[in-house]
Amino acid sequence: MSQPRYISRRTVLRGLGTAVALPWLEAMAPAASPVGGSVHPDPRRMAFLYVPNGAHMQAWTPETEGASFELPFILEPLKAFKDDLLVLSGLAQDNAAAHGDGGGDHARSLACFLTGTHPTKTDGANIKAGVSVDQVAAMKLGQNTRFPSLELGCDRGAQSGNCDSGYSCAYSSNISWRSPTTPMAKEVNPRLVFDRLFASQSKNLNGAERAKRDFYRQSILDYVIEDANQLRGRLGANDKRKVDEYLNAVRELERRVAHSEKNSQVDVLLGGIKKPSGIPQDFKDHIRLMLDLMVLAFQGDVTRISTFMYANEGSNKSYSFIDVPEGHHDLSHHGNDKAKHEKIKKINRFHMEQFAYLLGKLKAIPEGGGTLLDNTMIVYGSGIGDGNRHNHNDLPILVAGKGGGTLKPGRHIAYPRDTPLNNLYLSLLDKIGAPVESLGDSKGRLDKLDG
Amino acid sequence: MHFRFFMVLTAGIVGLTLPRMRASAQSVKNEPPAKAVNAPASSASFENQAAPFLAKYCNVCHGGDKPKADLNLTTFKDESAIVKNRKAWTLIKDYIESGEMPPEEKLQPSEAEAAAFMAFITSTLAKVDCTSQNDPGRVTIRRLNRSEYNNTIRDLLGVDFHAADEFPSDDVGYGFDNIGDVLTLPPILMEKYLDAAEKIVEQAIVAGRGSSNGPVKLYEAEELPSTAGGSPYNDFARSLASESALSVQHTFPRDGEYLLRARVFGQQAGPEQVKMAFVVDGKAVKTVEVAAVESDPKIYEFRAKLRGGARRFGVSFLNDYYNEKDPDPSQRDRNLVVDSLEIQGPIQTVDSPFPESHKKILFKMPTKENRDEVVRELLAKFASRAYRRPITPGELARLVKFVDLAQQNGDNFERGMQVAVEAILVSPQFLFRVELDRSPKTGRRNDPKRPTTASLIDEFELASRLSYFLWSSMPDDELLKLALDGKLRADGNLENQVKRMLRDPKARALVENFADQWLQIRNIKTVSPDRGKFPGFDDDLRTAMLTETEMFFGAVIRDDRSVLDLIDSDFTYLNERLAKHYGIPEIKGEQFRRVTLKGNERGGLLTQASILTVTSNPTRTSPVKRGKWILEQVLGTPPPPPPGDVPELDNQKTLSGTLRQRMEQHRSNPSCASCHARMDPLGFGFENFDAIGAWREKDGDAAVDASGVLPSGQKFRGPKELKAILKAKDKDFVRCLSEKLLTYALGRGVEYYDVCAVDAIVAGTVKNKYKFSQLVLEIVKSDPFQKRKGKG
Repeated sequence: MSQPRYISRRTVLRGLGTAVALPWLEAMAPAASPVGGSVHPDPRRMAFLYVPNGAHMQAWTPETEGASFELPFILEPLKAFKDDLLVLSGLAQDNAAAHGDGGGDHARSLACFLTGTHPTKTDGANIKAGVSVDQVAAMKLGQNTRFPSLELGCDRGAQSGNCDSGYSCAYSSNISWRSPTTPMAKEVNPRLVFDRLFASQSKNLNGAERAKRDFYRQSILDYVIEDANQLRGRLGANDKRKVDEYLNAVRELERRVAHSEKNSQVDVLLGGIKKPSGIPQDFKDHIRLMLDLMVLAFQGDVTRISTFMYANEGSNKSYSFIDVPEGHHDLSHHGNDKAKHEKIKKINRFHMEQFAYLLGKLKAIPEGGGTLLDNTMIVYGSGIGDGNRHNHNDLPILVAGKGGGTLKPGRHIAYPRDTPLNNLYLSLLDKIGAPVESLGDSKGRLDKLDG
Repeated sequence: MHFRFFMVLTAGIVGLTLPRMRASAQSVKNEPPAKAVNAPASSASFENQAAPFLAKYCNVCHGGDKPKADLNLTTFKDESAIVKNRKAWTLIKDYIESGEMPPEEKLQPSEAEAAAFMAFITSTLAKVDCTSQNDPGRVTIRRLNRSEYNNTIRDLLGVDFHAADEFPSDDVGYGFDNIGDVLTLPPILMEKYLDAAEKIVEQAIVAGRGSSNGPVKLYEAEELPSTAGGSPYNDFARSLASESALSVQHTFPRDGEYLLRARVFGQQAGPEQVKMAFVVDGKAVKTVEVAAVESDPKIYEFRAKLRGGARRFGVSFLNDYYNEKDPDPSQRDRNLVVDSLEIQGPIQTVDSPFPESHKKILFKMPTKENRDEVVRELLAKFASRAYRRPITPGELARLVKFVDLAQQNGDNFERGMQVAVEAILVSPQFLFRVELDRSPKTGRRNDPKRPTTASLIDEFELASRLSYFLWSSMPDDELLKLALDGKLRADGNLENQVKRMLRDPKARALVENFADQWLQIRNIKTVSPDRGKFPGFDDDLRTAMLTETEMFFGAVIRDDRSVLDLIDSDFTYLNERLAKHYGIPEIKGEQFRRVTLKGNERGGLLTQASILTVTSNPTRTSPVKRGKWILEQVLGTPPPPPPGDVPELDNQKTLSGTLRQRMEQHRSNPSCASCHARMDPLGFGFENFDAIGAWREKDGDAAVDASGVLPSGQKFRGPKELKAILKAKDKDFVRCLSEKLLTYALGRGVEYYDVCAVDAIVAGTVKNKYKFSQLVLEIVKSDPFQKRKGKG
């Protein structure tokens, strides 16, 4: 039996629009009925946050191990959440390294970050990475919620050009891979995320109208499946793969249409929130609004699995609003220049402040006997260690939340050098209830996470 | 808004099936590319030119039982083995060129040895026999990308919905976002397709007898560009502090009645209340008094009859008041503050006329007697246009069932048509550009299990290739009619169609989708030059930069100029803002106009602010990026990627001095030297243009030194001389542009086997005065565009 969920007034106000006085709706009051049908009592959630271009590790890694570690400069913003935090050092994504493929570390490090596979070097033909950890979880657990997973970010996919040394831009702008050949496009516009999550069902249709619309939708999907199958039989291998993608997407949609009745309850619950109007000009506002939406989606049990990319890998964004006007990527090739180190640290810390904001929101939401954060496991990190060297070991990796009691945070754990990051994922998949034998280059489970 | 009533495919299309297409596929004029044959690969040259190098420098590690990186070079015995492992050998060449191999601690080849070895690899990999039947390649089935989807819906229904603006962005490969292999279809996109189709049919076909106020479009003031008018007010509005207007460009889908709304408040001061006018295309259509104040903004509404099409809608502030002497500071200044603008409509009433899209799809109404026949006719026509080929009887039979289904559920005929059209719009036959294998002998579509050799694509497929190439949209009636008659390839029709299509306003898509991506200036929308260093940079300038390049490229297409004008020319397009930025006097106003450049260092794409800005860092220019851009986008000789892991940078001492001095120190590192010697001088030639493309004589305190020496030994001082050198490399440039345009036209990367086709395209273009239309025509006539390789 699930707990009624409340939306705090603060949740609603933060970031969600401007000076407005809205008539507060039922959403502000305790929900009259539980959300969804057979929801897990306190479902566990899983999120992955990605920052590009590595980090200044000297100001990231705590000096001591165990529970009594001190937070270095970059991690300081997480002070209030030290007991919810695991700092994991020594982890590596070896498949992000060249291994004979030459340049392209940025593209590889993102494509490898959640997959642990070595992406095929190509500008287009035969794009291939691996299934990402979030999608492994989504395939197993996704049927419980309207959306198996939610992919968010702040940068659109590249609009043109070569993203990185002979790698298609698909590699440097997508973190989540549903299959080795299908990246999950991310949504960057908060208004569209909102519409998708909460508003699309609320077109003022009454029950009968909705049922009829769903019936027609279902018929249309049946029709196009037949179309696709007919077409499929007449195509060669590459084309078939594309049609298979189409078929998978349609089946996913079918499931959603079939669940639309159940889902409409979530809309009622969340219906009172002002819709974001678009992409905020201010980068910080944009990040926070996207994170707000992730929190709402978790809170309303619209999805349990999410990814968020602060920026595309190799981003050369200017951070002039924190007095770092240079491009991030340009700076990350610091050539051991002290002034550049300082600026990189500032960028790293700015990202961390936004992470603290997310943790604060999750922690402020009561759920079961604890908080939403207690039921969540969030990985925060980058697929590059030092941006200057482009190394893929000693990665900056944090895990936050208690994962429904499966994690024992509040510690810095140093693992042997070059321990595969995918070992962590294997463990997290166990903890969320989607165990697999192996993933990418995993060599086993990561010990010590639960004490 | 323009409509083309679709007349040609009405009669007889239902009965039309595949045999017609076969006929069309045979009437072909196919000219083999005129190109000398290269000698076939021999093992003698391998023995002489490669084997000794490999034995001396490589095989120690890359040989034996456990070769490093699993690369055993001793298994290669002749040139054909190299050609078979093209990817590995391209990489080997890159590694040698970047100095990454052999590793520092091993025996190093001399520069001459390395150069000879690389030349051998290059020439071996370039050898393709152009006399025999060539591989035309095989394009992976292409999903419509965002702009193709928008344009196709526009041309199919005659209404501009822009539904794809809400789709996730399409991934890019080979520099473009229309590459079949890269255009994936994740579930979120399918969801958007279904939503979009639902919204589109609701607007396109009127099914309800009731009335509705139509869809709402909201424009939040804070999201508008500064060109909309006014200035930002806090983070949620824009303020009009003088008698001026705030307006947005909005596409009104058709003639009809609309509700125009503005959520505003006044900063009240002086004797009168704030007065505001609703403005359409600069004309006040209604004046209102605004009593609302900041604590309680109000929505003002006006119902207006408007013609369809793109117009500017907004509000203007009519009675500015300013009295600095008023003792009450809050009474000194009267302003109008706009929170949002909103447009709803067209309003559909019981007796309002049907939208054009409705009349176009339902061009006949069925009676009881002829219902089945009419439904078949309507759906056959619409689906054939949507699928860009005649639909098959089987497909039609399945579509008709939707109308029956609606009827069984108590819905009317129109609702049934809505559902059928919705199904068409999410069908893979609409969303993908399908090309099927067929046998060269019979033209019949093939069982894919039986591999076939290359064959011509059918004329409907060709019509689609043409229209998506030049218009990013579906073929129009004329193209489909030619395909239907099997005459698209006959009697100079391709030439005529290419010329006609390039003159059509829809060819603007070639600028927005090809040129903007080739030149990488789509990135201008997201660059963020440092406001501290470049206070002059704002959204107006950003927009103006893009407009200049688009208009300039558009002129090259429209006037069918030589493509060499892209490198250097004596004209461009400027408005006041951009002219000031360039230091060119006497250009007044927002309007862009053609400006002749005489005695100016500017001219051609390379000196346009858009390109100079996207190839810079936020705080400074990057000669490396500019040089790399020229090598990649203009000369087609990209440098190899930088060495993957550069640990030596760790130990390197910090670089100092001017940018040029620092770059020279960087080049003293041998593993960086060879590529930077190619990139840096090209970039330094444009150092007189700062990171947002303004002219400068000094960088900081140091005078700009825009001279350089290319690896060829050619020397130049400043951009003008460098451009002259580049313009003289006409064949390199035309080849590079041909490859980019061919990539875009085909939706796949250009492969080694395309070399014969590219040779012919380049030769044909050069022979015909480098004319843009000739380049397009050569591509259209080339094998990769006309044919398709069969495959098991």
